[in-house]
Amino acid sequence: MVDAEELKALIRKKLEEGADAFLCLVDEEGSLVPALVTGADSPDLERIRVGGVRYPLAKILVELLREYPGRRFAVLARGCDERALVELAKLEQVDPDRVELVGLACTEEEARACGCPKPYPTRVDLGERAEPAPEREVIEEAEFLPDPERLRFWEEHFSRCIKCYGCRNVCPMCFCEDCALENPQLVEPGVVPPEFPSFHLIRALDMAGRCVDCGLCDEACPADIPLRSIYRRMQEVMEERFGYRPGEDPERRNPLSELGTEAEIKKIMGSGLEI
Amino acid sequence: MTEEKKEGRAEAGGEDDVRILAFLCNWCSYAGADLAGVSRLQYPPNVLDVRVMCTGTISPYFVVKAFQEGMDGVLIAGCHIGDCHYLKGNYMTAKRFQVLREALKFMGLEEGRLRLEWVSAAEGEKYAEVVRSFTEQVKALGPSPLRRKRARAVKGEKGAA
Ligand code: SF4
Ligand code: SF4
Ligand code: FES
Repeated sequence: MVDAEELKALIRKKLEEGADAFLCLVDEEGSLVPALVTGADSPDLERIRVGGVRYPLAKILVELLREYPGRRFAVLARGCDERALVELAKLEQVDPDRVELVGLACTEEEARACGCPKPYPTRVDLGERAEPAPEREVIEEAEFLPDPERLRFWEEHFSRCIKCYGCRNVCPMCFCEDCALENPQLVEPGVVPPEFPSFHLIRALDMAGRCVDCGLCDEACPADIPLRSIYRRMQEVMEERFGYRPGEDPERRNPLSELGTEAEIKKIMGSGLEI
Repeated sequence: MTEEKKEGRAEAGGEDDVRILAFLCNWCSYAGADLAGVSRLQYPPNVLDVRVMCTGTISPYFVVKAFQEGMDGVLIAGCHIGDCHYLKGNYMTAKRFQVLREALKFMGLEEGRLRLEWVSAAEGEKYAEVVRSFTEQVKALGPSPLRRKRARAVKGEKGAA
């Protein structure tokens, strides 16, 4: 268990070293909520908590960076928060020079409950690194089924969708002003459940090379749709075909967001995975 | 496109006849298809084509939409790698296709319903052959399960109205 005192000391240090504010979680009448600590003597420091619930902190940071140009932020980041920030920087939504991380490793229990592929950030300041616990149960379940039955399997899941947009709203990797899921040409307005499979397929395609497997969408979906497994399958494809894993190498961009070289294309085509 | 027009087209081919949407790039494959036509090469009439400036302009959303609207197969045809009029437009096509195919497959739509081919302006015969073999393939798979669903939904709506 991580000690809140340890975190408090780290927050004070970051603020002294030049961060204008620290994004973390505080106790608000018994619930954990995100808060910005702006001074070493802030009363919020007494309410700091570690663990428990997660929020899309990277997404909140995108907003903060936009709203306060020139300001520098520090954040208490888990493995998934760091991956999101790395990928968002490549997509020019986050300026890495204005964000500093204090790394929090998830506990073994948290990692297992989450099915996390990497439950710690690159640099761990708090907690102990736990073993990754990736799982692909739903993927295997789906893959086991022949084509027409697999379609029914997903249709059954998606028939529960109430089109609340929770999956998109919570996703740290969703930031477009014009969302395809709200384009009436693609998704008919006023139809619930949304058309199968286009609504979920559009999101799956957009998550290829982008989803950092934080699992917040799964947590947010009120209909218990195993969304994350779909996006996870997309990342397996990205890795198999392009050797790309979102959120890892800050120097390498999503192959789907740049043209690439002829050699690369020839390799994809010549790898036995014919076109 | 109105509902009636779509239905009308389905009937023209017959209920069980498959419908294929083909995205052809203006500079190579559309010209290739044109050559197949003027050369009077025989190929099945199941294809409805959409001329695009470059295959790189085809958003994966278009393909999703085509299947959602009940197409039984989607063909994308463009310039060979290295010959794209915009140099690298088809690089994007090649990459997106890989992801699109896997996504459709994972959703449970047969992968044989989507095809990518490179057809140059001089390859009229190749175009005819691609259409022949793709139509055969899609016919073997039969009407798309999404089309059957859609037909039910449309009938349901009409019945309710
Ligand atoms: S797991 Fe879900 S919420 Fe997290 S990045 Fe992927 S799609 Fe977004
Ligand atoms: S969170 Fe679940 S119910 Fe809400 S739109 Fe996404 S898939 Fe549908
Ligand atoms: S112009 Fe033909 S594929 Fe780009």
